[in-house]
Amino acid sequence: MAKKVLVIDDDENQVRFLTVALEESGYDALKAYNGKDGLEMIRNERPDLVLLDLMMPKKTGFTLFHQLRKDDEYKDLPVIMLSGVAEVLEDLDSSSDDTHARPYDSLREAMRDKIRNMKGDGLLKPEMFIDKPIDPELVVDKVRELIGN
Amino acid sequence: MLKRVPFYWKLTIAFAFVIMLILMIDISLERISEVKLRFFLIIAVTVILSSISAWMIVRLTVRPSLSKLAQGMDKLAKKRFDVRLNENDKDEFGHIFSSFNVMAVLISSYQTELVRAKDFLNSILESTADIIISVNARKEILTFNSGAEKALGYMREEVIGKPIEMIFADPEEREVAIKRLKYGDNVVNFETKFLTKSGEVKDVLLTLTLMRHAEGTFVGTFGISKDITEMKRLQNQLIQSQRLSAIGEVFIGIQHSMKNMLNTCKGGAYMVRTGLAKDKREMFEEGWEIVQIGIDRMSDLSKDLLKYVKDWKPKLEPVDLSKVLSDIDTEIRKSAKDKGIEFHLDIAKELPEIPCDAPMIHSVMMDIVSNAVDACFWKDYSDLEKPNVCVKAYLRNGRDKAVLEVADNGCGMTEEVKKKIFTPFFSTKSKAGTGLGLSITSRMIEVHNGNIDVESEPDMGTVFRIMLPMNVNLKNKEISDGKESAGN
Ligand SMILES: Nc1ncnc2c1ncn2[C@@H]1O[C@H](COP(=O)(O)OP(=O)(O)O)[C@@H](O)[C@H]1O
Ligand SMILES: [Mg+2]
Repeated sequence: MAKKVLVIDDDENQVRFLTVALEESGYDALKAYNGKDGLEMIRNERPDLVLLDLMMPKKTGFTLFHQLRKDDEYKDLPVIMLSGVAEVLEDLDSSSDDTHARPYDSLREAMRDKIRNMKGDGLLKPEMFIDKPIDPELVVDKVRELIGN
Repeated sequence: MLKRVPFYWKLTIAFAFVIMLILMIDISLERISEVKLRFFLIIAVTVILSSISAWMIVRLTVRPSLSKLAQGMDKLAKKRFDVRLNENDKDEFGHIFSSFNVMAVLISSYQTELVRAKDFLNSILESTADIIISVNARKEILTFNSGAEKALGYMREEVIGKPIEMIFADPEEREVAIKRLKYGDNVVNFETKFLTKSGEVKDVLLTLTLMRHAEGTFVGTFGISKDITEMKRLQNQLIQSQRLSAIGEVFIGIQHSMKNMLNTCKGGAYMVRTGLAKDKREMFEEGWEIVQIGIDRMSDLSKDLLKYVKDWKPKLEPVDLSKVLSDIDTEIRKSAKDKGIEFHLDIAKELPEIPCDAPMIHSVMMDIVSNAVDACFWKDYSDLEKPNVCVKAYLRNGRDKAVLEVADNGCGMTEEVKKKIFTPFFSTKSKAGTGLGLSITSRMIEVHNGNIDVESEPDMGTVFRIMLPMNVNLKNKEISDGKESAGN
């Protein structure tokens, strides 16, 4: 049976080309357009992996992710975060705190803080961040890396 | 010799002399009786004796007291303020002496006060870091405090008596300041540059005062200057870093928008490619449409950018706002309904025509209302609450301003977000938002001489209020809100 991948993103176009790319590679692609619906879909469909957008109406990707990691049932569910500010988040482990800190870069700073807090709570960060502009084929490669075919 | 003889002595001698003369004449003419002679003699002796006794009295009592007084005065004059006279004498001199003593005490206390005030002023002059220099009418340095020594590197001995021009980086500037003095007796915070001994230039704020004698003649100038070199340096640094950071925000904003558009194009292109390769025409067409959306967004952004930098000039005309608002109502209602958002329009009865530029106000209201709709869409409502947006138009109490109000019960903003909403490219919306909407809107309101007021609370909602002035001179199409004159 094909593995299920859920795409949660409020950008319809992005959801569309990601599901196309996943389906082309033989995955069963599910979609949700906001965090709230996404969570419901996770509960009902039990996907093998979630592609989660960071900034979304109703429930942001972060809130949803936080919720998943706290929930025993979903804490091991692999999550790939899609975002416009991923590059500063990737090296959160390796780099010293200030390598990317630019005083005017408030959105990124806020994201860093959120991730740092999350780690402070003893929660794992997402399996992977993918930065925009997204290459759909690359996303599929990463999915394959994490859960196989 | 004769001068030193006291007057009363002269008088007495003259008197005796006259009497003797009369006696001698009478005796020689043998006209005088013995009784008369004796009478005259008694008078003469009495006068002489009384003169002598008066002299004795003065000599013995008044003179010593007077000389004590004179000595006291002398001492006072020599600044020996501790001098006191013996007040125990019972006569008038006792009084005079005690008055003298009072006077001496007063003078001495005034003197102490004067010295103290002078010391105080000196210590201020010397302890302040300000540069304090006084100059005489010939433009020569009279005094030079330690603040001046420190800031300018000269010892006062080196500069006192020298021309004041030597410490000005540009001596002309002193003349400029002096010229300004003609309009009043001081020039406050005149920004100029001083030259230190080592040739360094210092930025200073100079406050210059004319010194005059009591009768008004000019005796020189008194200048207090503050060294602001370091302050100016920090200020420049701050401006520079603020400018960089503002440019940075703008770049990040543009980059963020571009990223989202590129993302759309890239995804669309993938579908076009795959559709072609696998000969799936539907996928190809769908992909092409997505690419097109990306391109459209880019041209929107480029239009918004142009719109933002445009020099706005409103064409003011009396406008029936209900018309503008019902246009917006029809445009918005559908998308709001699709998203399950209730939309209300409430225009005050008898709302007069408002002087404004109708297309601009349309664009402003469109922007604010769609932000409100977005805010509702972003909020995760409980079952008890329904998303709604309410637009109102009315006149403010004083009838001097028209108010356009857009209230929503959407996601609201934190204080931090609220501070930034008018910054170009600031957006909390991930994809569609360019973050230019409110910055363009605020400029449009600005050129109407109106203002925007925002109240917001996270998760509770937001109210935007736009106030437009009613008192506008339409004939000249100028806004006469006290700023522009009506006649041009
Ligand atoms: N009614 C509102 N409720 C909550 N936030 C708002 C509202 N209006 C504006 N904002 C905030 O102001 C930001 C800037 O708005 P705007 O300049 O119109 O840009 P954009 O709509 O493209 O994001 C929005 O991203 C949002 O965070
Ligand atoms: Mg907007």
